[in-house]
Amino acid sequence: MSEIYDIGYRHYDGPRLGRGHTTRALTVHSLRGVFGLGRPARSKLVPFSLAAIMVLPAIVSIAIMALMRRAGMSYSGYAVIMQAVVAIFLAAQAPTVVAPDLRFRVLPLYLSRPVTITEYVGAKVVAMTVALYALLAVPLTVMFAGELLIDLPGPPRTKEYVGAMLTGLLLAVLLAAFGLAIASLTPRRGLGVASVIALYLLASASVPIMYSTLLSAGNDAAARWAWLLNPFWLVDAVQVWVFGTTPNSEGGYPGGPVSFVIVVLLIAAAVAALALRYRKAASR
Amino acid sequence: MHILDTEGLTKRFPTVTALDGLTVTTGPGVTGLVGANGAGKSTLIKILLGLLPPTAGGARVLGLDVTTRGADIRRLVGYMPEHECLPPDVSATELVVHLARMSGLPRTAARERAADVLRHVGLAEERYRPIGGYSTGMKQRVKLAQALVHDPKLILLDEPTNGLDPRGRDEMLALIRRIGAEFGISVLVTSHLLGELERVCDHVIVIDAGRLLRSSAIGEFTQTTRSVTVEVDEGTQALADRLVELGHGVAPHGRMLLVEVSGPDTLDAIRDATADLGLCLIRLERGRQRIEDVFREAAGV
Ligand SMILES: Nc1ncnc2c1ncn2[C@@H]1O[C@H](COP(=O)(O)OP(=O)(O)OP(=O)(O)O)[C@@H](O)[C@H]1O
Ligand SMILES: [Mg+2]
Repeated sequence: MSEIYDIGYRHYDGPRLGRGHTTRALTVHSLRGVFGLGRPARSKLVPFSLAAIMVLPAIVSIAIMALMRRAGMSYSGYAVIMQAVVAIFLAAQAPTVVAPDLRFRVLPLYLSRPVTITEYVGAKVVAMTVALYALLAVPLTVMFAGELLIDLPGPPRTKEYVGAMLTGLLLAVLLAAFGLAIASLTPRRGLGVASVIALYLLASASVPIMYSTLLSAGNDAAARWAWLLNPFWLVDAVQVWVFGTTPNSEGGYPGGPVSFVIVVLLIAAAVAALALRYRKAASR
Repeated sequence: MHILDTEGLTKRFPTVTALDGLTVTTGPGVTGLVGANGAGKSTLIKILLGLLPPTAGGARVLGLDVTTRGADIRRLVGYMPEHECLPPDVSATELVVHLARMSGLPRTAARERAADVLRHVGLAEERYRPIGGYSTGMKQRVKLAQALVHDPKLILLDEPTNGLDPRGRDEMLALIRRIGAEFGISVLVTSHLLGELERVCDHVIVIDAGRLLRSSAIGEFTQTTRSVTVEVDEGTQALADRLVELGHGVAPHGRMLLVEVSGPDTLDAIRDATADLGLCLIRLERGRQRIEDVFREAAGV
């Protein structure tokens, strides 16, 4: 080992890049982490399998359009129909973004550099958002490309596609902020996965039950509110309000901007929880 | 320019005063910060990094005010935390490259610097393996490497010898000495052991319960005796014989020799004698009283 010490120290006088660069590098690093890139093969298995499952209905739809000359799956319903896959992806991958740095106390190594806590958390949220958005936007876009190529009778469903892409982004932000907030409160990775899944199951299983209970009690208006307890139907309600699409729930949603207001409040709450969590972690 | 200076620096937590009107300055080189558990060493480092606001008083690092220029300070300074801070499932190379980029280095430069710095701290092939399998000594080296990777002007090392065995401790201290002397990077290193810092520091600050006990150059701590310690790889006896032959006062001291210094030519004689005999010179340093003894005297114990 002694020969190792014989090389003289060289100073670095090259460029030192600014904030934008470090934040972008951290975002890309975290995004690669979500998909297990640069990690052993087994880390790629879950995210890529789920991403592949997400694309399957789009491919089936293209086949239907090509062979049966009629529209396949709707763009506006894609997220709601595939919600379980998206939720599993979020539960499985959100902890990989935030848990190790908290659990192994790596944070001080970032904060002793020109990286602020806001930039750090921002990079993580952006990375998770991009990953979730890719999960939705890729199949939607594949399906839309297929529709344009096949050239069905009648105009292409461009407005519905654009609407689904925009509400998909809103859904991705909501899920990313929420998933990361929950995962950051449970620094053990397994626990993080379990809590996100448990919360999703609660939100998805209880909603139809509440809906039908309220409906049979004759309270139709209250029943429609039940859908908003699940993030996928909540964002679908925003889509119905903004783009006038057909609701993907039984009986529709409460009208007006209320669903959008709830989404914004939930995102704000999740970001605040993240900020508090990291403020505490930083002061340790 | 002062590497760091504080004035009346005070930090109060709800139940304790961690720093209490601390006023110190240090210049370039290796500075030791000594104090018992809870003396306020880590608190001082966090304030110097601009991560913790002082309650009263102020501090400057490399001439930059910690309350207003924190981000600029963190660009020029490296930090090695006292606690474990390494993710187990990435390799040392991956981690250090990533952290270099977090300090603003472009991708290629980050890779080159990481490779260089890991070599300097003595991590060879193992740097490609996941950190989870490293020994404590290797982990401490990775922590040191990430503090150095962006070529800082100053590094703040919080208890770098913590948890190391005597050999690991010696190697870490030698590395710190090299960083200060050869790399030209100033060092602030904390320890609760006064004794281990005497070999590596140019300046020592002693704090207790957040108050300054003493701050002075190492020479003032130790009374330089009129002798030097010489250590050679093999042939200690041959060297002793030769020096006695030349008329120097020589006394064996364990595996080393204590040689009385009669003038500058004594050192030349030692150098020439080792060269003539073809010996490998490991150590040639002034004999010193240990810092601990000085403190024991000062404290009247
Ligand atoms: N965030 C905090 N909140 C409350 N008290 C704190 C906080 N950080 C440090 N302290 C207290 O301040 C005092 C100084 O702590 P500090 O960690 O600076 O000591 P230290 O010299 O680094 O000790 P050690 O050798 O154990 O690392 C201690 O009494 C400690 O309990
Ligand atoms: Mg400490």
